[in-house]
Amino acid sequence: MSVKIHIHSTHRRFTEGREVVAVEGKTVGECLNHLVRQFPDMQKAIFAKKDKLHNIVEVYLNHASAHPNELPKPVQDGDEIHLILMLAGG
Amino acid sequence: MDFLLTPEERERYSRQILIEEIGPEGQERLKRSRVVIAGAGGLGCSIVPWLAAAGIGTLRIIDHDEVELSNLNRQILHWQEDLGKKKADSAGSKMRRLNPEIRIETIAESITEKNASTLVHGYEAIVDAMDNLLTRYILNRCAIEKNIPFFHGAVQGFEGRVMTILPGKTACLRCLYRGPGPEGKFPVIGVTPAVIGSIQATEVIKYLLGIGQLLTNRMLMYDGLEAIFTEFAVNRNPDCDHCGTLAD
Repeated sequence: MSVKIHIHSTHRRFTEGREVVAVEGKTVGECLNHLVRQFPDMQKAIFAKKDKLHNIVEVYLNHASAHPNELPKPVQDGDEIHLILMLAGG
Repeated sequence: MDFLLTPEERERYSRQILIEEIGPEGQERLKRSRVVIAGAGGLGCSIVPWLAAAGIGTLRIIDHDEVELSNLNRQILHWQEDLGKKKADSAGSKMRRLNPEIRIETIAESITEKNASTLVHGYEAIVDAMDNLLTRYILNRCAIEKNIPFFHGAVQGFEGRVMTILPGKTACLRCLYRGPGPEGKFPVIGVTPAVIGSIQATEVIKYLLGIGQLLTNRMLMYDGLEAIFTEFAVNRNPDCDHCGTLAD
């Protein structure tokens, strides 16, 4: 089971510059936890606390918003996750 | 106001009247249209001139801020000579010179929960050119309550996003809400709101004319550094506290 996570440009300093990271897991949450195991600095970048995403982090699964209740959503082999940061400027 | 096109207007808009989807009937529809632009900052300075030049009959520009030097890297309706002026008035005066055929209303007030409904009453589109989430959510709720389409845009750095909201029919801004986000000064360069505001203005024109495919239930993301547009599907959240109770 392999899922690709697309890393937002702001976060790539935590992933050694990698734009896409391959992870394993049966849910979005498991995939994000696997990402953090590979790149521990991503923990504080995406999680406010255990199993709680920062408010500004948006998760898209196969180009569709996973909100609400992102973390328990099931994933399948070949799925893609995008981690995007909310924008508020104008 | 007479909504038939004058000879001067037929000449002014002649190149866009040639567009099959617009034609003289579409141009008259634009002349009848009334649009609110909430904000005369980076996004507003991109949105307003395109809608004014296109011949939207009535534009209401709302912004309580005054022009500061640090605005001039991106807010191109405000010039050195406008420092200290109200942004709404600065933008409005330029637009009256750009297109004297249309009506420009300027309101130098903050948008609040109390006055939002009054500020947008009688208008058929609200364009989000705000610089903070709190006011965006006030406008989002107001648009839903008054059943007025809401044209969202936001920027930071070289990134931007656009989504069009048809109340009760498509996902609203609050459907994506995860909680309060950061406020304050955001990094931004003028080319980003130029791109995003132009897309918002395009969406408004398409909506008013009933043409094309709107950015409904889909968020268009722009990454200027990578020169990539990416589209993400966004569905209505049945538990959304702004639009969740509205019938589809």
